[in-house]
Amino acid sequence: MSQPPSPPFAGISLEQAGYAIAGRTILSDLTLSLTEQRIGVIGRNGSGKSTFLRLVSGLISPTAGQVRVAGLDPAKDRKAMLRQLGILFQNPDHQIIFPTVGEEMAFGLRQQGLDKAEADSQVRAVLAAHGRAHWEKEPVTALSQGQRHLLCLLSVLAMGPNTILLDEPFAGLDLPTQTRLSRSLAALTQQVITITHDPAALQGYDRVIWLEAGRVRADGPVEATVAAFRAEMDRLGAADADTDLTH
Amino acid sequence: MEKNVAYIALFAALIAVLGLVPQITLATGVPITAQSLGVMLSGTVLGARRGFLAALLFVGLVALGLPLLSGGRGGLGVFAGPSVGFIIGFPVAAFVAGFIVEKWRAGIGIASFAGALIGGVLVLYLFGITGMALVLGKSWPAAALLVGTFIPGDLIKAVMAGFITQGLAKLRPLSVLSRA
Amino acid sequence: MLTLTSPIETRLHTIAAGPKLAGLALATFGLMLTQSMWGIGGAALFVAGVYTAFGTEFARHGLRLLRPLWPFVLIILLWHGWTGEIAAGALIMGRLLTAVALANLVTMTTRLDDMIGVMERLAQPLARLGLSPRVLAVAVALVIRFTPVLMDKAGQLMQAWRARSARRVNWRVVLPISLMALDEAEHVAEAIRARGGL
Repeated sequence: MSQPPSPPFAGISLEQAGYAIAGRTILSDLTLSLTEQRIGVIGRNGSGKSTFLRLVSGLISPTAGQVRVAGLDPAKDRKAMLRQLGILFQNPDHQIIFPTVGEEMAFGLRQQGLDKAEADSQVRAVLAAHGRAHWEKEPVTALSQGQRHLLCLLSVLAMGPNTILLDEPFAGLDLPTQTRLSRSLAALTQQVITITHDPAALQGYDRVIWLEAGRVRADGPVEATVAAFRAEMDRLGAADADTDLTH
Repeated sequence: MEKNVAYIALFAALIAVLGLVPQITLATGVPITAQSLGVMLSGTVLGARRGFLAALLFVGLVALGLPLLSGGRGGLGVFAGPSVGFIIGFPVAAFVAGFIVEKWRAGIGIASFAGALIGGVLVLYLFGITGMALVLGKSWPAAALLVGTFIPGDLIKAVMAGFITQGLAKLRPLSVLSRA
Repeated sequence: MLTLTSPIETRLHTIAAGPKLAGLALATFGLMLTQSMWGIGGAALFVAGVYTAFGTEFARHGLRLLRPLWPFVLIILLWHGWTGEIAAGALIMGRLLTAVALANLVTMTTRLDDMIGVMERLAQPLARLGLSPRVLAVAVALVIRFTPVLMDKAGQLMQAWRARSARRVNWRVVLPISLMALDEAEHVAEAIRARGGL
């Protein structure tokens, strides 16, 4: 793509980072260096993994410790982060902010300083490269759920980030749509960090981090971590936890 | 900045939606449109400045030709019609409602009721009646007589604005920007 | 979202929005000053002629847009029938209907994009007060995008209500609808922040 070269990628690092809101601690004591190409972050509902994504991407600031992306504070230096990080939210309807496909994709590019004509032609190029040239003028409401996911991905890709953060990318998608989306994701040359509760989504990943109650429970290669995670989930499922109110 | 813009735009949309959702029915069985309730809530929830801008954005989009007024009306024609005063009064009504909630440190429910009553009914009708008197070539009291039948419904909306703002403050204390 | 622009292409569609709006402002001002029956009557006939010149379908659409005015027509009729000042009543009614029809004509023949363009030009001086035209454009786009979204959700909410209640939907749905607006605003703000903020 005809974009100026990005600064050298130095990865994402957390140093004793934590996050608390209204007296409740969501994340604590996270020290991690995220440099692998494919990283999964796994955990149960409420384990803090969505907050983790927001922390890493700079949408929120840590209340303890620090987060660095390519040496910068992602919450402070939002402009620089546009080149570093692209975020794909779980629900495309929370991400799409414009009425038409073209406007939605052009927004991020104009944020990077392109003028309207440059942004529009870049949008057309990205759409054409993915065989979706006819989408440009379409209202976003005309797209199916799977197509909206793809639109969000294309909007992020158009901005050319080094790292793409995915929040439960397959939640609520039917199987063919999942397959198509995971094919698009597998083909990405960028670093990908995927947040999920579903270990099946992490096949072929380099590293998996298991979060539990806002802390790292396990961290390592995908097979070992996922096996431990599955065993624990099976154990919890077998115990009739729903009757246990003192938990 | 983006937070302000998002809240202002979403409340402009809320004003539209409350005018377009059909048949919200009062206990008496009289169907009313909740559009002016949306204006009151813009003020009581977002505060004076943002509430004003939300209502102004709404009015601007109506002028641009979007059918967002209750009954699907819109376009420049409504600004030549008898309801012009009410439409122009929307931003001012929201401002006054928000101003009262911001300045009067009573409980949020009571303050919102007072704000909605003074901004969303009193001020709005001052504008509305004046506009109607001008467009229809009638005296001010005569125009007041014409719209007087709607005042009881709007008094009820002011009460609703109080309860709803109080409910929102309980559910999303950080999002009720008039008091945040 | 649906706009009030007529899908029937007329010659007025090709005129730029700016001149049309300026013309409308002048004409409306003129109508307000006109006190003669002949003047108002002539203007009314002219506007009606323009509508019909663009075809019956177009004219019928124009008439539909005037329909919300009928209670006022009725009131004026009754009022002036009562006081006996029929001529004065006809003047007021003619002026109102002509002014509204003329304004609707501009709305019907001007695309939303062009109107937004005019608005952005008019708002340019505000840039000095800190309101960039880009922020305004984003705000307008957000309303156009999220009105149907909130509308859908309000519809779902009312269906859920009806599924469990024999009583008609009442004002209590306004609280959850407002709550959705607040939550949606948070999501939107986050989505904009994710792409660099405003």
